[in-house]
Amino acid sequence: MTVTEAPPAPARRRAGAEAWSWLFMRVSGLLLLFLALLHFAITHIVNDVVDTDYSFVARRWDNPLWRVFDWALLALALGHGLNGVRWIVDDYVRSPRARAATKAAVYTLAGGLFALGTLTIVTFEGV
Amino acid sequence: MGRPLGAAPPVSRGAARGSVYRGPAGQWAFLAHRVTGVLVFCFLLLHIVDVSLVARPELYDEVHALYGNVLLRLFEVGLLFALVFHSLNGLRIVLVDFFPGAIRNDRRVLRTVVVVSVLATAAGGWVIMEPFLSGRVFG
Repeated sequence: MTVTEAPPAPARRRAGAEAWSWLFMRVSGLLLLFLALLHFAITHIVNDVVDTDYSFVARRWDNPLWRVFDWALLALALGHGLNGVRWIVDDYVRSPRARAATKAAVYTLAGGLFALGTLTIVTFEGV
Repeated sequence: MGRPLGAAPPVSRGAARGSVYRGPAGQWAFLAHRVTGVLVFCFLLLHIVDVSLVARPELYDEVHALYGNVLLRLFEVGLLFALVFHSLNGLRIVLVDFFPGAIRNDRRVLRTVVVVSVLATAAGGWVIMEPFLSGRVFG
């Protein structure tokens, strides 16, 4: 290797859990670009937010495909956001104990809300 | 965006202050990506709770009506900006990472990301605020 050589591509250097986490952020991010923006457009632009009431949800979730859409959005957004928060905690929370405690709190909260969101979508019985 | 893969967490103490990226533009993009990401994440947590109320229709409708409030409409415009900026900047990061050399003028691409985000937010924001502006919804 000569000194003038360009640095190696970061992804190739160390293929461990962090490389998968890096790849997950890109793939989930690309999917979320469509899922999240479409979701926002449907609930705030195409329809006024006031009109997306209970009957709106009931009509929409009558179609299982919309439940799959919403669950995919839930799972990917939570996973993407949680991994982002994990990076941020690693960067700014210095003490190992505080770092572990912060992560435990965030993971517990996100895990609980993932269960709540999943239950909401799966157990919903319309009108 | 996260941190550059090679950099282990403890190294970034100084990096958070100095510039990891070449020039301040990339550094601001990095910060804005984090801030918008955290804001959207926080809203997501709240949103899971309010949607879970759908199991009790009357309560759901009562809570959901709050989203029509002018303050929450303004919040939704902010959320739209955060979503669009985070999406477009994320797309820029994907291009930089997967297609090295594809972006030749990163500063110009960054400027485009900001301009498109602002324009999209202005257009979407007008639709979101319109019921309030035209007086059909008060407070």
